[in-house]
Amino acid sequence: MPDCPNPPVVSELLPGILFALVFYWALIATFYRAFIWKRTASPLPIPLTPAPQSRAGVVGRLLLELVLFRSLARASLITWVGSILFHYGLLWLLIMHLRLLFPQLPLALLPFIQFSGWALLAMMSGLLILLLRRCLVDRVRYISSPSDYLHLLLLMAIGITGALIKRHWPADLYSTGEFLRGALTAQWQSLPDSASLMVHLALVSVLMLIFPVSKLIHGIGIVFSPTWNQRER
Amino acid sequence: MNDSQPVAAAEVPSVVGRYRVIPLIREGAMSNEHSAVADASVQQQLKLPGTLVEDWHDRAIARLGELVASRRGLRVFLDTCTKCGACTDKCHYFLGTHDARNMPVARQDLLRSVYRRYFTFAGRFFPWLVGARKLDKALLQDWYNYFHQCSECRRCTVFCPKGIDTSEVTMAGREILASVGLGQQYSQEIITKVNSIGNNLGMKAPALAHVLESLEEDILEETGVPVRLPLDDPDADMLVVTPSADFFAEPHVDGLIGYAKVLHQSGIRWTFSSAASEAANFALFTGQHDHMRDIALRIRNAAVELNVSRLVIGECGHAWRVAYSFLDALVGPMNFLEAAHPRAQHICELTHELLESGVIRLDAERNRGKVVTYHDSCNVARGAGMGNIKGGQFTIPRELLVASVPQVIDMSRDTTHQRTFCCGGGGGLLTDDLMNVRIKGALPRAQALREVVTSHQVTHLVAICAICKTQLSAVLPHHDLANVQVTSLHQLVGDALLLDGNKANT
Repeated sequence: MPDCPNPPVVSELLPGILFALVFYWALIATFYRAFIWKRTASPLPIPLTPAPQSRAGVVGRLLLELVLFRSLARASLITWVGSILFHYGLLWLLIMHLRLLFPQLPLALLPFIQFSGWALLAMMSGLLILLLRRCLVDRVRYISSPSDYLHLLLLMAIGITGALIKRHWPADLYSTGEFLRGALTAQWQSLPDSASLMVHLALVSVLMLIFPVSKLIHGIGIVFSPTWNQRER
Repeated sequence: MNDSQPVAAAEVPSVVGRYRVIPLIREGAMSNEHSAVADASVQQQLKLPGTLVEDWHDRAIARLGELVASRRGLRVFLDTCTKCGACTDKCHYFLGTHDARNMPVARQDLLRSVYRRYFTFAGRFFPWLVGARKLDKALLQDWYNYFHQCSECRRCTVFCPKGIDTSEVTMAGREILASVGLGQQYSQEIITKVNSIGNNLGMKAPALAHVLESLEEDILEETGVPVRLPLDDPDADMLVVTPSADFFAEPHVDGLIGYAKVLHQSGIRWTFSSAASEAANFALFTGQHDHMRDIALRIRNAAVELNVSRLVIGECGHAWRVAYSFLDALVGPMNFLEAAHPRAQHICELTHELLESGVIRLDAERNRGKVVTYHDSCNVARGAGMGNIKGGQFTIPRELLVASVPQVIDMSRDTTHQRTFCCGGGGGLLTDDLMNVRIKGALPRAQALREVVTSHQVTHLVAICAICKTQLSAVLPHHDLANVQVTSLHQLVGDALLLDGNKANT
């Protein structure tokens, strides 16, 4: 059968194909869930008052919550610090990872690369604070399920493998970029030969797999929360 | 509404210290608190099954599915909780009872765990991983007990980084329970009365007319001014709908006299309605939107019948939320109202307008000797607004108080305004069988009150909600605050008001 590709080639391309599948699953499933929220009727207006009277005010309120986690700051300062450190550390690192999407490094990404070590430190400290709080505070321990701990541990493991790639067992950046660009554009490339990278990507894939069907999607849910996105007449 | 006397048998909670001290959790501390289940006759009047149905499991799950598909808030709230714990120390019932399931997130989880088990991928295939549970008899019992230990006050929402509103979950839980035969006697019976007779008390029109007449005589005797309390006056321009407790309960009725004096002085032609002699809408508490609409429609119909162009709501917390936030969605458009006042107004808003425009004058000296503090009612603070200015629900009543009383003191800022603590009796819990829950739930409010009693010798606690007034009068003695008088805001306004023709003015 001449049309059948050589088995080694398939196994070489398989990581890229799987990564692409998981990536697009995360994207599409996340949109789907947002669509379900959007589609569900909202029979009575239930804004938490005092609420903004204008649309601009609503956007401002949502931004305060999305960007500054305002309500969390009111509720628990230590959780707020942990969350801010984690989320902004992660955001910084995600932006840093954009360099993999460009064959030539955009200069704007330089500071993100330069301070990525600090960002990782922030992210890991934030996760540690959140994990400790979950383990030590009796109220939070009571409401926690196994998945609540595992989400934190998964993110920590991703951070640690990322640090390993950066410090100890570096993967070839250029071929990693080619792998990633290839995966996202259906021009599959083989995965660079690096164990730490493989583990890192596997963990990231697990994260993307569960993102749309877990509580991790909460950031998008915030936008649909009627207590915040509705106006006072 | 039960005008409950303090119940001697109820256990007085040990004061846990200041409300800022967070207690350790005690599992199941309140699992035996049980509000009476509705009688079969009451349930059947509301077209609900009289007793727990045979196939309760399937019907409960089906109803949960319907609610999740038709209420976006509920669905988003069940989906987005990250169990961050921000809400865990914010509920007055948790602070007062220490019961772990009275933490808002734990209360939601009673329903969320079932939602996950039957309606989500993770819960269906990995229930142990995400804390998903099948609905069984024990859990159904927990639903009943703990959804009736929530006053739907939304304080937890203020602190939730996802904006999750536990009251929506509680309402859904109660709605499902009622649909399988487990309604709550207190709230469901009141809904049957308001439907059949026009008010929560079951007070018929002749009795109401008699009460109003004798109140007119009392005011005449006190002031020498013929202040009227009209009922079904066909010439009226304004309909006033007030919680029926205002007609007879103490201290509510003194507030009613205050409204009458203000309205008399305003010169507005106004009336009560015998068909809609109740502002309260207990279907908000039970989560039954169809009943909520029916009860709201009664008010609209009375207004149309009497051909009025203005609608004013008396001092009632949840009634004001329904009037301010829901009336249009339930029975709107309210296009018979005049252009200058196109929506229902709060009595405080009206009095404030009259004060601003100089139509009425208040002399605070008449309340000399009183030191008052103001209790923000939860539904007014977090579920409504007032007077078309952001935060008007906080400023308008306080401005009226300052104009009426020389000494006004605010309680600690984390127990007032948007962060106010519930009185402990809202949301359908104002019943004797929940007295233990009510006393304990009032703990944070009592602690904040004690602070100002100690520091400023506060004598009066002012509220603009019938439930708050009844509840606080009943439970404050259990917190050693019997000396603080619970008072209607409009009683103080009425006492400070300069009435034309009043002997005392000349």
